[in-house]
Amino acid sequence: MKIIGEKINGTRKAVAAAIANRDAEFIQNLAKKQVDGGAHWLDVNAGTHPDREVDDMLWLIGLIQDVTDVPLCLDSANPKALAAALSAVKKTPMINSISGEPDRLSNVLPIVAQHGCDVIALAMDDKGIPADVEGRMAVVRKLFDLTRSANVPDEKVYVDALVMTIATNTEAGKATLDTIRAIRSEYPKAHISLGLSNVSFGLPVRSLVNRTFLTLAVAAGMDTAIIDPNDRELKAALFATDLLLGMDKHCLNYTRAFRKGLLEAPKPLT
Amino acid sequence: MNALVEAITDMREEDAVRTANEMLDRGTSPIEVLESCREAMGIIGQRFEAGDCFVPELILAGEILRQISDVVKPNVTQASDVKKIGRVVIGTVQGDIHDIGKDIVTFMLDVNGFEVKDLGVDVPMAKFVEAVKDFKPQVVGLSGFLTLAYDPMKNTIKAMRDAGFTGKVMIGGGQIDEQIRQYAGADGYGKDAMAAVALAKGWIGA
Repeated sequence: MKIIGEKINGTRKAVAAAIANRDAEFIQNLAKKQVDGGAHWLDVNAGTHPDREVDDMLWLIGLIQDVTDVPLCLDSANPKALAAALSAVKKTPMINSISGEPDRLSNVLPIVAQHGCDVIALAMDDKGIPADVEGRMAVVRKLFDLTRSANVPDEKVYVDALVMTIATNTEAGKATLDTIRAIRSEYPKAHISLGLSNVSFGLPVRSLVNRTFLTLAVAAGMDTAIIDPNDRELKAALFATDLLLGMDKHCLNYTRAFRKGLLEAPKPLT
Repeated sequence: MNALVEAITDMREEDAVRTANEMLDRGTSPIEVLESCREAMGIIGQRFEAGDCFVPELILAGEILRQISDVVKPNVTQASDVKKIGRVVIGTVQGDIHDIGKDIVTFMLDVNGFEVKDLGVDVPMAKFVEAVKDFKPQVVGLSGFLTLAYDPMKNTIKAMRDAGFTGKVMIGGGQIDEQIRQYAGADGYGKDAMAAVALAKGWIGA
């Protein structure tokens, strides 16, 4: 299981404030913490008005690269911001994202192909997010036709199967799990990613819903999670899931995680 | 609390519809049945505000209300429905498909006595302009979660003003704040459905 650390996202209040106030320490701590938590990539989203996005992205990238070598996942729909970011990154980044939307494809896919980036591909297009597996797979197939024509190998594509909010549609979980299984079977070399938190919007105890969905998604074939790497319960669920799916030789990751105190809440000092 | 209000607030869908039918059979006026529904919706709205019930329950409440309305409406002989205190047009602006917050706002405005016309998501400016001309609302609500929504909000407000709309506009969603309100030219903004209701009520003088 690979982890994309999701926290440096300007749509989150605290991060938006840090960007506005140029609070470098906040951002760098957030980067370090996520890397310590095991992030393989750090998602970077300036989340600001398109006029300010280039400056904010460059500021964020500079700060993050000062404290870690982990590759970045550039999260922007703005081709100007992506182009600027690409000139600033030290390692080939992942691009978040392309989708079936014509603008996204024409603006972003050439950048991906040219720089040899990994790319997250959303299973949606300009008509929105298809409600069922057939709709999503129709978009996914079109996307792979295009990435393959652009000579982007399947291994560099991380298909985001997308999950809608279960509170407004009780079939939302199944639709995503079916999509994951379909992608796994049709495009075995591709990766499958998922941003979880949508699923629990509007329900109580969101963390329970999120980590249970993570477990189900991994069992269905997801291999890249866009999560908070410092969410102990979520990470513990990942260790147990990998273990149970035969992906942890001699159960070593699990027992090591236990000894590092990663599996349980810290015992209160008495 | 009468049996109908109780059934609805307990989320007992079949009981609620059956009770409404029984009330009508016994000669209860359709208006009274709808009033009980309104009372129940108000209670549910309060519970949602307090964090005691959640989005799926709002949706179920809406479905129960729809089923009861379908039964009641044919029996309503006069045009006098439960009196509405104002009209609101609401929608998510072009380029954005986020809708759950908007749907909650719609629900709460409706529960609080407004007649709401919900244009859906990814709504072009022209559709908003047409809606304000036809529906003549006192208030328009623009919803948008992505930062890409700010310019469509600004342009939609301008288009409505150019077309002669003199009512109030509120915006909401994601990171909307005072700066964005000014940028877009809206009259107000809110963090949640309660704020939307307060703004709308204030503007119509309720």
